[in-house]
Amino acid sequence: MSDSAQRVSLTDIFLAFAMIGLTGFGGGMAIVALVERTCVREKGWITSEEFLHGLAFGQILGPFSLNVCTFTGHHLRGIRGGIIAAIGFILPSFLLVSLLSWIYFTYHKLPQLQAALKGTNPVIIGLIVVVAIDMGRKQIKGGVGVLMALAAFGASVFLKLNAAWILLGAALWSLANSYIRRRLS
Amino acid sequence: MTSLFTIAWIYLRIGLMFVGGGYVLIPLLNHIMVEQYRWLTLQQFLDGLALSQLTPGPLAMLATFTGFRAGGFPGALIATIFIFLPCVVLMLVVGRNYDRLKKIDIISSTLDGLLPAVVGLVAAAAWNLGVASLTGAKEFLILAVGFALFKWTKVTPMFVILGAGVVGLLLN
Repeated sequence: MSDSAQRVSLTDIFLAFAMIGLTGFGGGMAIVALVERTCVREKGWITSEEFLHGLAFGQILGPFSLNVCTFTGHHLRGIRGGIIAAIGFILPSFLLVSLLSWIYFTYHKLPQLQAALKGTNPVIIGLIVVVAIDMGRKQIKGGVGVLMALAAFGASVFLKLNAAWILLGAALWSLANSYIRRRLS
Repeated sequence: MTSLFTIAWIYLRIGLMFVGGGYVLIPLLNHIMVEQYRWLTLQQFLDGLALSQLTPGPLAMLATFTGFRAGGFPGALIATIFIFLPCVVLMLVVGRNYDRLKKIDIISSTLDGLLPAVVGLVAAAAWNLGVASLTGAKEFLILAVGFALFKWTKVTPMFVILGAGVVGLLLN
């Protein structure tokens, strides 16, 4: 839990994540980018490092968009905060899918929402790129860091490797590194 | 109508397997919903998949759609709660231990060391999404405007995204 003086209210947590769950079209990294903007930059609820640690865990453990919300909520207010953040994030999608399902099974037709996504997708890409640049400036130091970032990018884009495996590989590399550095010092 | 208890049990099991990685979800749900229980035809399943991807939630929102088919609104609610229950619980456990483990030197330096890989994966997501959806000059123009707004102004991302949705509706 955060040891900062101010306690974030559960209502604030709920509202912030419901807003993210309402507008984060594109899913996955779009959500991550939105949570970063909202919780790290705007509200200062969690540091950039802690947030990225949560993202690393979240990518190894299944649906990472939901996982970063749970992680951030837990960081703020413990178990209750985590549950409230998860519910807040899922609720808008749940209501939307329920409504669309009802329309679909009643009229056997899907509403034309795909057109809207043609506008939101490019903007989402812009947001993710900006977040990646901001994170990179802060977190990638020195040649080894640049190489690791490029290797992870290439492994995902060109080799189509699962993110969980890439992160496990990076964790092993990093563990060996810190072990050796300890030995030497 | 399938009983809510059956729905809860089915989705809890799917949720447990889903923790291993999101990619197994589609073949798994297809097998259970279409072949085993015959709640949906393959076409309905694929329509549901498209519909779930219209929302910000994870792909597993497919549980809401299939649960709705199996048991109406209560079915949708139960399916959604139970498919996400295992990963939320797991993430809470991770969060609890994270605060403790972070204080151990070798663990925190290992975690910090892998951060560049996380950043690389974030960038890769932008690339993969771009390959799929940047199909013309219009899209590149919207991307450029979005990038500039996020990079150099403090405007709330929500407004930009909703605005872009309206632009998409008008243009297409």
